Amino acid sequence: MLSLLLSWCIQTAVAFLATIAFSIIFHTPKKQWIFTGITGGAGWLCYLICIHFHSGVTAASFFAAVVLTLLSRCFSIHRKEPVTVFLICGIFPIVPGAGIYYTGYHFFMSQNTLALDKGLETIKIAIAIALGVGIVLSLPRFFFTLERRTRP
Amino acid sequence: MDHASALELSFAMGETLLRNGAEISRVQETMERVARSYQVPEFDVYVLTNAIFANGVENGVRHTTQLKHIPSTTIHFGRISAVNQLSREIAEGKHTVEEAFAILEEAKNLSPSRLPLTLFACAVGSACFCYLFGGGLLDSIAAFFCGFLLEAFLFFCERQKLSKFLKNLLASVLAAFLAAFFLLLGLGNDLDKIIIGSIIRLVPGVSLTTSIRDFFNGDYLSGAIRMIDAVLVGGCIAVGVGVVVKVISFFPGFFM
Repeated sequence: MLSLLLSWCIQTAVAFLATIAFSIIFHTPKKQWIFTGITGGAGWLCYLICIHFHSGVTAASFFAAVVLTLLSRCFSIHRKEPVTVFLICGIFPIVPGAGIYYTGYHFFMSQNTLALDKGLETIKIAIAIALGVGIVLSLPRFFFTLERRTRP
Repeated sequence: MDHASALELSFAMGETLLRNGAEISRVQETMERVARSYQVPEFDVYVLTNAIFANGVENGVRHTTQLKHIPSTTIHFGRISAVNQLSREIAEGKHTVEEAFAILEEAKNLSPSRLPLTLFACAVGSACFCYLFGGGLLDSIAAFFCGFLLEAFLFFCERQKLSKFLKNLLASVLAAFLAAFFLLLGLGNDLDKIIIGSIIRLVPGVSLTTSIRDFFNGDYLSGAIRMIDAVLVGGCIAVGVGVVVKVISFFPGFFM
């Protein structure tokens, strides 16, 4: 149990670092780095927890997307930055980039069954993430501004 | 006269946003908000992933503008957030059109992160993703160096203005080759994990997800453009890596 928690902590820390690294590559303003990192780390932690409870990769991606979009909306309102800044950086760890690559790779190596398998999984994950993000982004704004009702 | 036009301002802001990788709905909203704040009587805009079409009536004259640009947008969140700030201030009525143009010019010229920093960031990112995908410590160290050299190569490509597909193809060949080289030196155990870590910088995961978000928003054309883009880029990378792996498999003994 303890070793499981430890491995979660390490992985979250690594995801945190990875997100910050990519927010530097995307030229995010310096004062937002920590917050993009937190978004990415939280998304990955949620993904790990879902995987641990055997939810399957697709559902795990969905829940991770929901959690990290909620966080990015909170950050975007309180830090006065566009949501995309936190969202695109934070979503980087769970997005199926590797899936696209493996699909193409197996296709190129004429391992067609594997390619089809990976391709379908990639599409499913992408749809799940897009759904999660879309649902949270369309929530009305007052969910996120409870303690700051005075601001327009 | 040109530079006092609110339409021109709205258009320039939209262009800056799109070039630096903002999402479609944000570009559209910002342009409309700016036009509304300056009381432009009639304004319509249609935004695609790689073009903006806008027309409006100002001082009784109908203006039509259109813009095309290269699909290879480089994401620059610093500029997006600066333009966003500007549009919020315009909506509050803080700036005249001339002042807004000056501020926009500043936002456009925001410098990118310094090269050594991006090199280091890409190296760290590659190492981290190698670890997240299940690579060991040695694999991650190998991915660190691959990522570093890959970003340097990408910077060189930017300078030479290589086409996007050639750039991705060459970069993935380079990454796979470097991964094999480090493996041969004894750094790392799993070729596959090192490669996936090093090419994570190139892989179009975000554009695939954004394309499906565009579909959900009803922007079918933008979604399709992005989707095709993601598939082609992914294909290029797969071919680049695949060629190297095939060639290596002719020399039995080291790997697999």
